[in-house]
Amino acid sequence: MSNIDPVSSPIPYTRGNIEPILHEVIHALDRLLETDEPTVIDLASLPFAPGELDQLEEYLGTGELTAELNALGRSRIRETIYPGVWWLEHRNTEGDIVGRYIEITRAPAILMSQDADIGAGRALLGDKLENADPGNDNGADNEPRPN
Amino acid sequence: MDLLEFARGPALQVALYIFIAGSLWRVFGVLMLQRKPDHSEARKSGGMGGALKVIYTRAFTAPAFKKATIYPKVLGYALHVGFFAVVFLFIPHVVFFKGLFGVSWPGLPNNVIYFIGVITVGLGIAILIRRLTNPVLKLISNFDDYFSWFVTLLPLVTGLIIPIRFGIRYETLLAIHILSIALLLIWFPFGKLAHTYFVFISRGTTGATLERRGAKT
Amino acid sequence: MKDILTLGEILQARGVSRRGFLKYCSATASLLALPPALVPQIANALEQARRPSVIWLSFQECTGCTESLTRSSSPTVEGLIFDSISLDYHHTLQAAAGEAAEAARHAAMEENKGNYLVLVDGSIPLGNPGYSTIAGMSNLDMLMETVEGAAAVVAIGSCAAFGGIPGANPNPTGAVSVRDLVKDKPVINVPGCPPIPMVITGVLAQFLTFGQLPELDRHGRPMAFFGQTIHDRCYRRPFYEQGKFAETFDDEGARKGWCLFKLGCKGPITYNACATMKWNDGTSFPIEAGHPCLGCSEPGFWDKGGFYNAVSTGDVGSGKAFAGAAVAGVAMGAAAAAMARARQKKTMKEA
Repeated sequence: MSNIDPVSSPIPYTRGNIEPILHEVIHALDRLLETDEPTVIDLASLPFAPGELDQLEEYLGTGELTAELNALGRSRIRETIYPGVWWLEHRNTEGDIVGRYIEITRAPAILMSQDADIGAGRALLGDKLENADPGNDNGADNEPRPN
Repeated sequence: MDLLEFARGPALQVALYIFIAGSLWRVFGVLMLQRKPDHSEARKSGGMGGALKVIYTRAFTAPAFKKATIYPKVLGYALHVGFFAVVFLFIPHVVFFKGLFGVSWPGLPNNVIYFIGVITVGLGIAILIRRLTNPVLKLISNFDDYFSWFVTLLPLVTGLIIPIRFGIRYETLLAIHILSIALLLIWFPFGKLAHTYFVFISRGTTGATLERRGAKT
Repeated sequence: MKDILTLGEILQARGVSRRGFLKYCSATASLLALPPALVPQIANALEQARRPSVIWLSFQECTGCTESLTRSSSPTVEGLIFDSISLDYHHTLQAAAGEAAEAARHAAMEENKGNYLVLVDGSIPLGNPGYSTIAGMSNLDMLMETVEGAAAVVAIGSCAAFGGIPGANPNPTGAVSVRDLVKDKPVINVPGCPPIPMVITGVLAQFLTFGQLPELDRHGRPMAFFGQTIHDRCYRRPFYEQGKFAETFDDEGARKGWCLFKLGCKGPITYNACATMKWNDGTSFPIEAGHPCLGCSEPGFWDKGGFYNAVSTGDVGSGKAFAGAAVAGVAMGAAAAAMARARQKKTMKEA
């Protein structure tokens, strides 16, 4: 939710916009089981009455696995109580929501370590190990001293 | 000015002027005709009472003819009910009339109207088929009959296409719908559709005349 | 010298991980209303995109469009997009003024000839060039001079796209839109009064990502954001179909959030993204706040028959005209009857 609290109002919920999404999720789960094909539903493109989005989130609930991603702001990736159905919420560094998705997949792609990052990390680790030679300590603090 | 602005603006305006002028022309043209003076003594004062009675009773078929005419009768009444429902109980129409007359009334949910509309189109096709297949009707039907049927069904069909869309822009469909109504309004006073006024005038006149003569009405 | 770094390089230099970049690409896809399946393609395109130079011209405008844009505060996705363009000229946002500002504009035009984007807000008065001038130059002259070397022009806001409020009846300044004047360059219209900020940046992002102009509708608006009517995406649509309408402001129906059609909502004939993208970072939009849609992204919305008259209310002319028609009708009827009666008398006499 954005940093502005929506004004609470006595407008009753309509369920009209939630049911079609849940049906789409069911079809996506079928597809996932049959052909291993993932589905991403971008919630930004769907109309919601006030409170309906929260209702949908509540309905899907929180399952066993929650991950927090800190890249260009905080993102929460969590599996709902329905395995294979994931709720993703991306925020920027100001805390504003920049993306909300429901992913029906075995694991959302963003959880995977990326090739470019792996390559950069490997290079860094390699450098650090090289520089951790006894006669060549560059003052890297947390280096485990080789035995 | 795009098509919709033209349809809602000048086209509808002109159509309404013609509708009003034409209707008054025809009605006054008939009402002011001279009637043959009836020199016989009145048995009952023929007047509004007789007129109203016959306007009402003519709605029901004389028992001798009931069986033979039940099909077109039901078809005709159902068509009228369907049209009135769609025209006067569809809420965007109610709002239109409010803009025109300043009064409004409750309406029906859109889906109910769509359902009634579809049924009415079916009835309209049925009645056209009857006109084409019944030998007597086929013989006596003229351009007026067919054209009046066409200009009445057209707004209903174009109106029903609007929610279905068929991938066409809403504005275009709405403009076509309004233009079809303009066509209806222009034709209305000059063809068979003018029965809207004349049915009451002719039945009323018959009723008044017959009552004056003491005939059973 | 102008930056020649690609967007990918810029982000990398800022220490943004590949995951962060992918998150940014998903947000961009969402912004562009593109299917999530296109994210890899967007990632590829953005990695190689170069910062374009952007010249922003403000003419007869209220600055609402700039205000709308700057509500998207950095560093958000929109902010990042703006970081990746080089905003070389903007009256409200730039530090330079006077001669220095004009010099900056000319320099940008020279250095990036054929490649820079011109963003315009405000309408251009043709009635008298003196109605709106900048540094002694009329809007018309500045526009035509600046677009000459441009790759594309984006008309931001309903004033630049369609003439807007200056162009409304009676249009005293002779205000026209950008498209009325610029014929030999691609012009994208991003109307709205103001446009949704994410739509503005989304159009820029689309240009950055795909290096080409988005698919436009008949009014030159990007289909991604202006392809659907408010009505077709409104969360109150079920109430419309059920016939539940608010009759006046703050009545029971209004409090229950029922459809605002009867209160003049122009949703059915307005194309914009308000119902899905909403405003203020997705907080709400006019209908949700209880006010009928004004139709502000449509041409001539100021003159479309009143904000509080329903869409199906026609513009059917004055009572006087109807009275006139009635009188004419009666007159014709009387004349026809007179002729008929004369004929009748004649035949009856002969009988």
